[in-house]
Amino acid sequence: MKLKVLPKSQRKHNHYLVLDIKSEKELSKNDFTSIAWDACVRFQGENNTSNFNLWTIELIENEKISFFNEYKVILRCQRDFEDEVRSSLALVNNYDRKPISITCVGISGTIKGCSKFI
Amino acid sequence: MIDLNVKGSSYDNNFILAMQASGYGWKHINFSYDYSEYDEALSFKKDLTDNLKDFIDIGYTLNIKSNNPSEIRKIVRKYRNKSSCISVLGGNLKVNRNCLENIQVDVLSKPYFKRYDSGLNHVLAKQAKENNVAIELVFSDILKSYLAYRSKILANFRDIYRLYRKYEFPLILSSGAESVFDIKTVNDFKAVFTQTGLSDLEVESSFKTAADILKFNKDRKNMILYGVRVVD
Repeated sequence: MKLKVLPKSQRKHNHYLVLDIKSEKELSKNDFTSIAWDACVRFQGENNTSNFNLWTIELIENEKISFFNEYKVILRCQRDFEDEVRSSLALVNNYDRKPISITCVGISGTIKGCSKFI
Repeated sequence: MIDLNVKGSSYDNNFILAMQASGYGWKHINFSYDYSEYDEALSFKKDLTDNLKDFIDIGYTLNIKSNNPSEIRKIVRKYRNKSSCISVLGGNLKVNRNCLENIQVDVLSKPYFKRYDSGLNHVLAKQAKENNVAIELVFSDILKSYLAYRSKILANFRDIYRLYRKYEFPLILSSGAESVFDIKTVNDFKAVFTQTGLSDLEVESSFKTAADILKFNKDRKNMILYGVRVVD
């Protein structure tokens, strides 16, 4: 049996981060998800990370114009924890021994609102 | 939004870094050079400034790495009028002390470098305040370290924050970026330092301190004594 959907007032409030990723290695959505979780658990610890409610909504690959791959990602996180998440992601330095840089270029309350940062 | 320590190299690299920084919301960056490379870098400074003037302001920081205080003093005197900011790499206690006592030095960078403590105490903090020498904390130190080593650096940062709150010496935050991978948006940069224990106001005031250093050095030529300036 499926659980009934919570009433709107009882649901968690989410915000959506638009991230700019530069990576020498090609990334998939799953790769990014594990990078984001690892980064948060490492910097904020297991207890704090449990509040973040992280979920990768979309990974968009940009055209490769330099020696690195560029992606834009929409990442869901819980409201009031944006700073914790963005600081953890900013401190990611490498993935699979290849340099990577993640930085947050915008925050929106809706997925639709993220489009202006992409 | 001012960053006084982005590692400078060739013209092309500097251009790429500056464009990236401008896209991420920085208003001014200073490329830092060792004194052996500084004269060569000055040769393409004008071209770089002209080509970037629509996007971002740039300047040069002289970064001195030496363990000999008298050599540092000599280099500072030689380059004082040629550079908009002079910073000295700390870590050695003698160097830390000598820099903070030298009014011609603008910034003591990484006083915790290769140390087990923060490299500062109450005596040095008072000297920093008296001589208006800023203490610089570098973002790339946290970025490029991990696990226990990163924790120790963060612990050193917190020790410095405690002294900063008590003695109110100038504190600046900089990225220390060497490539496009190390440059972050201004908000990310602020978020990292707020997470380590600084308040929003303190982070903002560190940007203001950096701007004050640049402004002070612009007026340095007209200064007869500290606090006395030729207006006309």
